[in-house]
Amino acid sequence: MRIPSKVIEIADDIKSMRIRGASRIAQAAALGLKISAECYTGNNVDDFIKYLTNVKEVLEKTRPTAVSLPNALSYVMSRVFKSRASGAGLRELIEVTIKAAEEFIEYSRTATRRIGEIGARRIRDGDVLLTHCNSSAALSIIIRAFEEGKDIKVYATETRPKFQGYITAKTLYEKGISVTLIPDSTVRLIMKKIDKVFVGADAVAANGAVVNKIGTSLIALAAQEARVNFFVAAETYKFSPITVIGELVEIEERSPLEVVSEEFLKTSKNITVRNPAFDVTPPEYIDAIITERGVIPPQAAIIVLKEEYGWALKDYMLKATLRVEESL
Amino acid sequence: MSGDFKYYKVIEDVKYGRIQSATEATLAVLSATARYINEIDEVSKVREFLKQFFSEALEARPTNALLMNIARGVILTVKDALGSGDIVKVRKVFNEYYRTTVKRIKMTNDTIAQMAVNRIESGDRILTYSYSTIVMKALKLAKDEEKEIEIYVPESRPGLEGLNTAKELGNYGIPVVLFVDSAIRYFMKNVNKVFIGAEAIAANGAVISKVGASLVALAAHEARVNVFVLAPTLKFSPETIYGELVELLEKEPESFISTERMHKMGLRINDVFNVKVPMFDVTPPEYVDAIITERGLIAPQAVTFMLREIYGWPFQFAPIRKLLGD
Repeated sequence: MRIPSKVIEIADDIKSMRIRGASRIAQAAALGLKISAECYTGNNVDDFIKYLTNVKEVLEKTRPTAVSLPNALSYVMSRVFKSRASGAGLRELIEVTIKAAEEFIEYSRTATRRIGEIGARRIRDGDVLLTHCNSSAALSIIIRAFEEGKDIKVYATETRPKFQGYITAKTLYEKGISVTLIPDSTVRLIMKKIDKVFVGADAVAANGAVVNKIGTSLIALAAQEARVNFFVAAETYKFSPITVIGELVEIEERSPLEVVSEEFLKTSKNITVRNPAFDVTPPEYIDAIITERGVIPPQAAIIVLKEEYGWALKDYMLKATLRVEESL
Repeated sequence: MSGDFKYYKVIEDVKYGRIQSATEATLAVLSATARYINEIDEVSKVREFLKQFFSEALEARPTNALLMNIARGVILTVKDALGSGDIVKVRKVFNEYYRTTVKRIKMTNDTIAQMAVNRIESGDRILTYSYSTIVMKALKLAKDEEKEIEIYVPESRPGLEGLNTAKELGNYGIPVVLFVDSAIRYFMKNVNKVFIGAEAIAANGAVISKVGASLVALAAHEARVNVFVLAPTLKFSPETIYGELVELLEKEPESFISTERMHKMGLRINDVFNVKVPMFDVTPPEYVDAIITERGLIAPQAVTFMLREIYGWPFQFAPIRKLLGD
């Protein structure tokens, strides 16, 4: 059976970035599976699985680096495969697909809010906080704490090269939360005034290492030195299952023009401008990762991965094993 | 005082960071002092000028130990001549001091650069931060000696001194990697040495330098990369022996984010929103492997030893604020 045109449309929108942002991409992908299941007109279990797998691959290929995308798909597919393994019929499989997709979309929508509720409990009245870049999960925590009536003060790094710290400052300012903007280079100096650090994540690896905006690991290091608690706010769909089989999370390097002007590049000699977008914070600098499922130590990332992405893990492990067997 | 405006212009340049390096700031202040002393004939005016001018210069850059030490030198040198009321005498002793001091600063910097080069090997990848006159000298010297080096330079916000450093080194034929300050830890794995300059060195070996330097030292310490601070003993701050704290300056918010940009974003500095732009930070001695001075390479904890050599034991020197008060 052919992939419904509505699903092709979703895939195109993700590819062309009309749909963007980790959460929205993930929700759109789950919706793609849901629509596909609803539109299925065949009458064969094996055919349905083949068809759905095909849809999944099309959606997965749209943005190969965004970890939330394959995770959303795995969330749904793992439940479908589980039902099939326990002998479910076609009607039941379609229902499971729709239900799993809806469940994912719902949980994605509420995850950020849940993180806010859980994380806010870590904030005490009078706390001075530091945040880096512009993380909706981290901001959810800070805003929630403020709305609970806690008297807080926030330092926001400007976050070179693209100044996402301005957006953070603006968001907090509009809520009436006291915020001070600082250069990234001042975080060690400022750290003495800070009680807690809250940052977001672009990916969480199997060992609990957190991939996030460049500079995060430097802040974590300075926090560790000053014995300031360092919290990462991350929805479980930001945990990366491929890292369980040893895959590295690729660090994207972006254009030098984000760092210096064209004029500077033209008039300078022997200079290479490097612009890594992310860095990796080792788990030992992270006090806890705040997920919508609860607060976990970073070293327990594998629990989240096993619980949320069991199917995906089995699949990856199988593929890895097959590769080894082939090479023998 | 209004007629003296041209002499005071340098203070504005120092205050607003138009003159970045501590050495250049000190030389500029000294040169303006020389102009005044050689152009103005009344001794009483010279006396008032020195008091006013040095006080304002130190206020503009209270962290600058070199400036503090040089100001002390000038005052102690011309004190007796000022008492005699003879401008010719004042000029004679001052000009002699001026000539030898400028020469001394240049010579000590050359000596330090040479010693630093002894620590540089072909194949070294060195990280430097902000813009340091002495570090630039050392790196160019290493290039002259045909040592193959690559330099890693953070841009150093908000002043962006790193861009000048990168450009100057690049033009000299040294390959440079430039990146944002946030990437300091990311690139620390790629380098094997750090060379930085200093604004002042406190009695306990703590290094006062451009803000972010302590972050560099921390990341270097974590990665077991050696940190060298290049500083003449004239940057040692004897005042700190008596427990005086080094005062850390802040820059204007405008130097960091333009008012126009803030307003565009709907942000206004008030009791909810603020901008903080510290100029310097303090690197603790345990993150510094060595301070390279013109008298040799020392552990930062041995700064007191060096101060004893210079100022005797018990220490004998006149605190600058006391001198300016008299």
